[in-house]
Amino acid sequence: MVQHHPPTDFLTEYAAGALPVAESACVSAHLSYCQRCRQSVDRLEDIGGAHFERLDPQPVGDSLLERVLARLDDPQPLRYAPSEASDTRLPGLLDRLINGDYADLVWKRVTQSLSISYLKTGDPNHEFALYRIAEGGRIPEHTHGGREMTLVLHGGFADESGEYHQGDFIVREGWDKHTPVALEGEECICLAVLDAPLQFTRLRHRWLNPLLKLRAG
Amino acid sequence: MVNKRDASGSPAANGGAKWNAPTGRRTDEWSQALVLVGESQDRGAFTRFFRHFAPLIKAFALSGSSLSAAHADELVQEVMLKVWQKAGGFNPEKAAASTWVYTIARNCRTDMFRRLQKFDTQLAADDFELESEEEESFVVLHTRRGAERVRELMGELPPDQAQILAKVYMEGKSHSEAAAELDLPLGTVKSRVRLAIQKLQGLMEA
Repeated sequence: MVQHHPPTDFLTEYAAGALPVAESACVSAHLSYCQRCRQSVDRLEDIGGAHFERLDPQPVGDSLLERVLARLDDPQPLRYAPSEASDTRLPGLLDRLINGDYADLVWKRVTQSLSISYLKTGDPNHEFALYRIAEGGRIPEHTHGGREMTLVLHGGFADESGEYHQGDFIVREGWDKHTPVALEGEECICLAVLDAPLQFTRLRHRWLNPLLKLRAG
Repeated sequence: MVNKRDASGSPAANGGAKWNAPTGRRTDEWSQALVLVGESQDRGAFTRFFRHFAPLIKAFALSGSSLSAAHADELVQEVMLKVWQKAGGFNPEKAAASTWVYTIARNCRTDMFRRLQKFDTQLAADDFELESEEEESFVVLHTRRGAERVRELMGELPPDQAQILAKVYMEGKSHSEAAAELDLPLGTVKSRVRLAIQKLQGLMEA
């Protein structure tokens, strides 16, 4: 079962439509694994609904009603259909961004056990990327100097503060350092959303930092 | 303390009356109208629904004066067309009509902001909505009651908390944007929002 959840702050901003698109996508992906947070969001949306119905109504002319009535029979916009190759059982939104299988993505190898694939959300301030860690592999100790959201999509990993499995959502802020290690038995794939680049802290890995400059967009 | 008072009888005090309170009945009227639209494409019900909700959607669009009047009218049209198209998926057992319209208006406004900022994304806010699935019936009941309770209890929030909640929800401001606009430390905004939510949730769960 999912053990680690977004803090209420994030769920509130999510329910209010106030999270940037990349972070919103990460929270949304967590919701598809977590009934508890779905219920929280439903309740947080009720707070939005209660505010909404108390707004001071602004006059709307009948011509607007006429225009809407005239458009009711317009053909409806096409909806995106989930891809056929859904054996990965990914949240719909990610399925759409990945558009195929993990193997079809462009993976950039950073260390022997870590590869990164950057996905495009259009968010100008956040990097939205998949991290693939070989089983038992380690991401060198690093920090961010910003906010990092992580969602485990496949397998699991452990770091200084705990162990994480599919659907778990982890937030780190500021200059916290950590060293994630993929659990034994299978590779680990995580979604990571960053607003500042990853920075390796140990001398022997620092030369890699220029390769990790933030890829927002 | 609040929970205790609540558990000890505040809801019971207006217990039976709660379901007949004006807000409750009004909500039911709009839920029924939505069901009629969804089941039989009833244009009369849709027109009634429009006359009630379009002025609220316009007010929502203009909250924080972030959109022009022309864009606000455009938003009203987009939202009301979505109401027509999606009414079939509305479940009166699961959501209050006002919450349902609010989420559509919120998504349309987010997309409109992104369009106006020439924000290049392949994602629409609707894509973030999960496929609705069958929830356990006790969960449904819980959610439904929660919506009614939250409406009753909003008036009990202290003004400083109510002000920030309104800013976050109606203007779609992040905590840090709200902090900048109100000239408050981010920590203060976060704690006020957290207190308000805790209070509402605590009361809802009581």
